[in-house]
Amino acid sequence: MTKAKKYWKGLAELNNDPIVEKLRQNEFVEEIPVDEFLGDKELSTTSTSRRDFLKFLGFSTAAATLAACETPINKAIPYVIKPEEITPGVANYYATTMYDGHDYASVLVKTREGRPIKIDANKSATNARIQASVLSLYDSSRLKNPMKGGVDTDWSTTDAEIIVKLNEIKSGGGKIAILSSTIISPSTTQLIADFSAAYGNVTHVQMDAVSYSGMLDANEASFGVRVLPTYHFDKAEVIVSFGADFLGNWLNADYAKQYVTARNPNSGKMAKHYQVESALSLTGSNADDRIQIKPSEQAGLLSNLYSALNGGTADSRIAKMANDLANNAGKSIVVCNSNDAEVQTLVNAINNTLGNYENTLSLSNPSYLRQGNDTEVSALIEEMNAGKIAALITYNVNPSYTLLDADGYNAGLKKVGLTIATSLYNDESAAKMMYACPDNHYLESWGDANPSNGVYTLMQPTISPLFKGRQFQESLMVWVGKSDYHTYLQNTYSSIDWNKSVHDGYFTQNQSAATVSSFTASVPSFDVVKADGIEFEMYEKISMGDGTQANNPWLQELPDPLSRACWDNYLTMSAATARDLGITNWNVSNGALNGNMVNITVNGTTLNNVPVMIQPGQAVGTIAMAVGYGRTAAGKCGDGIGFNAFALGNGTATIEVVGGEYEFAATQLHHTMMGREIVKETTLADFIKDPYSGNHQVTYATHNGKQPADKVTLWDKFDHSTGHFWNMSIDLTSCIGCSACVISCHAENNVPVVGKEEVRKSRDMHWIRIDRYFSSDMTKELSEAEKVSAIDMYAEMEEPSANPETVFQPVMCQHCSNAPCETVCPVAATSHGNEGQNHMAYNRCVGTRYCANNCPYKVRRFNWFQYSDNDKFDFNMNDDHGKMVLNPDVVVRSRGVMEKCSMCIQKIQEVKLDAKKAGKKVRDEDAQTACSSACPTNAIVFGDVNDDTHKIQALKKEERAYKLLEHLNTDPSVFYQTKIRNKA
Amino acid sequence: MIRTYSLNSRLLFLTFFFTFSLNLFAQTDGEQIFKTNCISCHTIGGGRLIGPDLEGVTAKRNADWLKQWINSSSDFIASGDADAIAIFEEYNKVAMTSFYFEDEDMDALLAYMENPPIEEKEVATTTAENDKGMSSSTILLLIAVFLFLLVYILTSIKNKLKTQLNQPTETLSETIINQGKAFLAESRNVAIVGFAVFIIVMKFTFDTLMGVGVTTNYQPEQPIAFSHKIHAGDNGIDCNYCHSSARSSKTSGIPSANVCMNCHANITSGTNTGTAEIQKIYDAIGYDPDTRTYIEGYEQQPIKWVRIHNLPDFAYFNHSQHVTVGKLECQECHGPVQEMDVVKQESLMTMGWCINCHRETEVKMEGNDYYTSMHEKMKEKYAGQKITVDKMGGLECGKCHY
Repeated sequence: MTKAKKYWKGLAELNNDPIVEKLRQNEFVEEIPVDEFLGDKELSTTSTSRRDFLKFLGFSTAAATLAACETPINKAIPYVIKPEEITPGVANYYATTMYDGHDYASVLVKTREGRPIKIDANKSATNARIQASVLSLYDSSRLKNPMKGGVDTDWSTTDAEIIVKLNEIKSGGGKIAILSSTIISPSTTQLIADFSAAYGNVTHVQMDAVSYSGMLDANEASFGVRVLPTYHFDKAEVIVSFGADFLGNWLNADYAKQYVTARNPNSGKMAKHYQVESALSLTGSNADDRIQIKPSEQAGLLSNLYSALNGGTADSRIAKMANDLANNAGKSIVVCNSNDAEVQTLVNAINNTLGNYENTLSLSNPSYLRQGNDTEVSALIEEMNAGKIAALITYNVNPSYTLLDADGYNAGLKKVGLTIATSLYNDESAAKMMYACPDNHYLESWGDANPSNGVYTLMQPTISPLFKGRQFQESLMVWVGKSDYHTYLQNTYSSIDWNKSVHDGYFTQNQSAATVSSFTASVPSFDVVKADGIEFEMYEKISMGDGTQANNPWLQELPDPLSRACWDNYLTMSAATARDLGITNWNVSNGALNGNMVNITVNGTTLNNVPVMIQPGQAVGTIAMAVGYGRTAAGKCGDGIGFNAFALGNGTATIEVVGGEYEFAATQLHHTMMGREIVKETTLADFIKDPYSGNHQVTYATHNGKQPADKVTLWDKFDHSTGHFWNMSIDLTSCIGCSACVISCHAENNVPVVGKEEVRKSRDMHWIRIDRYFSSDMTKELSEAEKVSAIDMYAEMEEPSANPETVFQPVMCQHCSNAPCETVCPVAATSHGNEGQNHMAYNRCVGTRYCANNCPYKVRRFNWFQYSDNDKFDFNMNDDHGKMVLNPDVVVRSRGVMEKCSMCIQKIQEVKLDAKKAGKKVRDEDAQTACSSACPTNAIVFGDVNDDTHKIQALKKEERAYKLLEHLNTDPSVFYQTKIRNKA
Repeated sequence: MIRTYSLNSRLLFLTFFFTFSLNLFAQTDGEQIFKTNCISCHTIGGGRLIGPDLEGVTAKRNADWLKQWINSSSDFIASGDADAIAIFEEYNKVAMTSFYFEDEDMDALLAYMENPPIEEKEVATTTAENDKGMSSSTILLLIAVFLFLLVYILTSIKNKLKTQLNQPTETLSETIINQGKAFLAESRNVAIVGFAVFIIVMKFTFDTLMGVGVTTNYQPEQPIAFSHKIHAGDNGIDCNYCHSSARSSKTSGIPSANVCMNCHANITSGTNTGTAEIQKIYDAIGYDPDTRTYIEGYEQQPIKWVRIHNLPDFAYFNHSQHVTVGKLECQECHGPVQEMDVVKQESLMTMGWCINCHRETEVKMEGNDYYTSMHEKMKEKYAGQKITVDKMGGLECGKCHY
């Protein structure tokens, strides 16, 4: 009987696939790259015999042994004259302003021995890109020297030549154009005016890579002011966003903080959030109600909403939203991502009808963060092509890469007599210009910013320029025969206490804003139409933004919060659309994700062999691709990754499926929770009725009746009663998945970058990851009701819904009291601390990886390779400049050891020591980990539960608090707060 | 509780007060005054520094002249005193600091200069070394010689007896070999010897391996022959004056050259090495000792000291924790640096050495609010025991390795 049985290893064997036979002959599935690791071709031609080889080997071993007897001599080299403010080993903090033309933040910079190593929030929240900007400072791919026609030159020659040429243009009456990003620095605006005065015929055009021109134009038409309003999401009770990703990339990093303030379940009230969009955005994934539309439907629906608010009938999809808005007039916000002035006029009309102006959004107190003008940019390109521009100076922009009409711009550039780029990089645009003048990074520069009315922040250098750069402002001054921007800047603000303002990083001052007239524009009307065909839309990733920092390896390796893929951009597509086109994503033998590729044509531009990622939540019939990729002159790590979506522009797409497979590097391959309570969630209504709703304790049946997991245990309870007991609370209602914590952790803990290939092998090194789960149409309740078999149920549970609910869950080492990793370590390299942390002694670890295998949370990371000083991992740790960002208080781990979140023990030890020295208790606000300090929404709270002045003590007792995989009784020091949604 | 606390602090204050007033009192001691104010420019019988050698100065000049000169040499010179002007001219027109001492201090100082203590240190150290007696290796050598003699004598006696009995005699080496053979003929003896050899070899191997990376007594030559004995010992400069960051930072800090210049702007010649070594500081920072000015536009060169205490990178050590919070004296880890001309590593600086101290050292919690509530709980938990560093997690891996 048994002989008749045959087991197949898989379907391939059953089908007698020839590959099976081939594989059976080979012990190793993949060819062992013997040539690669022994790979010196000279070896085969050498005359050294085996005998000689052994002789050499013996001799060199003996020599090495002898040499090793000598202890290396370490030198200690003090300063000759120590700067007064520097004590070696003690960090200094400086308040400054981060602005790179795309992101703005008031930040606090931590420097060690004169090197900036970490960015923290000062007066505004930070996002992942702002956190990562400290690494961009140390980018060796930056432009290091002034260049003329691609050849290095020096400043004196460059300046002399430029001044001569500018004067020639001036005397000839030629027109000089300055093309810059939005300038939020009043002193720079003043300088440009000085420059214009000196050279006469000067025009200044501002452009934003991701344009808000439509919105600015609409505000001009509606209210007579070409500015953007400031929003107060915290004051809103209903938030409606038509595609605007205000929690991720839209305008200002501060909105996330306001948003969670408006959505605090403990207050019993949460702002209702509707998101109407096609591609799943970070904001959409946090919405209570998400309505999927095609981009072409947006105008019609807004028009319909407007008429509904004015007594018309609403489209069934937005009827509830219209009703909620009408009931919350003056307490709601409607925002939209459209760059069409007419559509934005409609949005203005809606907000105006609702009386939201000066309540939840304000134009009399405007934001100046985006001032780009598409019309002026187009006019400039036209003038350039007509040969009317004699000189072009660019600052902080990369038009050859970001413009849809890049070809027109490039063609026009050839007709401009004098082209000067002031830029951090010799990028796509700068390389095409006559002179490329290295700009300084914001951490090397003086400056000011006026992000919104009456608010000023100052920028101060925290390090001497690393290269021979010179900031744009200084260059402008030199070109008009002046110098010393620092004094110029100080003179701009003569009425303030300069030293105090620089110290604080900000000051407020009365500022007159343009007068806002009442809403006058004629409201356009659109029909709700649903266009056929596949519609394409560009979007921004939280990691890459507009691609300014594309050469930043931290950002490249930051997994997208929704697709969980890194080192790539791709077309996102819904499962239904993919099915229609015959496109799939599948997992290969090691679990990694592969996908099909397509050629895509939008607006006459074709991109070939673009991979498709099937993205739950993407509206049917729509596709999207992130901008910021496809750089060709970003630097060694950003070049050649992904495709340039800027070149496509929004519009209807033609798709042609092509052969070949694409290999993604995704850090999470599972979409759903498969019915398990990993993220506990409930609705606001249920939560108000029962605070424990959604968070019922796991119990085990024992001879003493039902008992919670911690009562059914073999372990002795760890005594945490004396001293500190550090705990962390993560509120899943406040966590929006923005990933600022991941980058903050990178910077603080010297987490290595491993590259796409290694991430694909699940060897990413992030100490904190943000798990993302989609809801599924199948639930356990449904399967019981419909009598679905368990196998079918689980199969269906694997599939996320087409318009799923999304949850984010940051997971780092849970610092278990009953830690499974500790009991299996054969060398006691990981052990429990009396302050609640699980310690990891790298120098003791021998790399058995038992701990990682026994960890139920899968948070341990193994150093498969030496990631520093290794040419195979040519990222910041293999670069003399890049290494300057490393935190000197944290060890750079070597090959073969395990690592994981330490709960920033170096930071805890430091605040403890500071408190001991001051003779005071550790204050709640000082006890921070890298992730908790970076969290813009305060979802991550850290503190000492044994100290009743720390917030964490109350949070631990909250009804919403639960421990991850509670039934295992690992008793973690990290706990979560149930996610609450504001929906029925 | 509060009462005792305030009583304690009052006592503490009194103690401070007395120490302080004792210091004030000691100020009237001429030696103290001299060491505090004069020693940086003058010696007594040690040769000329910035100012003249003061040996026999009280005989050369009368007390009134000296008082006027010391109180304000510039005024004195201006008054037109010929001797004063001559000295001023002789010493490159560098005016001496005006001191304006109280009369009683001035008398004490002059009395001290008249009768400076005779340097007896050298003699004392020599006798101390003689008193030390023989080292253990010398004793062992003597025992070995004695035993060898004993064997020789016994063999000679045996041979004499054998000659008497007309038996064949053996030479000394034959005796030793034969006796050895006889001893090893017994298998029990072989086992014992083998075991002993094994133990010795193992002990040697173990000690050698444990000694890898341990650099106790490491005493490298430094780029400048800086003597801690002169600075910290003889002149009593506080360690923290130069190594100031030990109080606030993880590193104790090698002083930068500008700290050296606080004194060496004036002291151009050293006790041991004259001007040669101090010149190296000037070469680093760009200082001209003749004109006493810093050289404009000088390309400064850092001094490359050889690091003696090398903790591995994976061990985190913080000086301020031990110096400021733990209130340890520098010498507890670094040994009597104030007696070392050339500094060496005194302690083992191994993990076992650290841990041992953490096991024995009591945490100094009193008077530090950081510990107050913690201390209450710990007193309950460890009733009757000393609260040592290890009870607060001082033996945990993660406290030093991260």
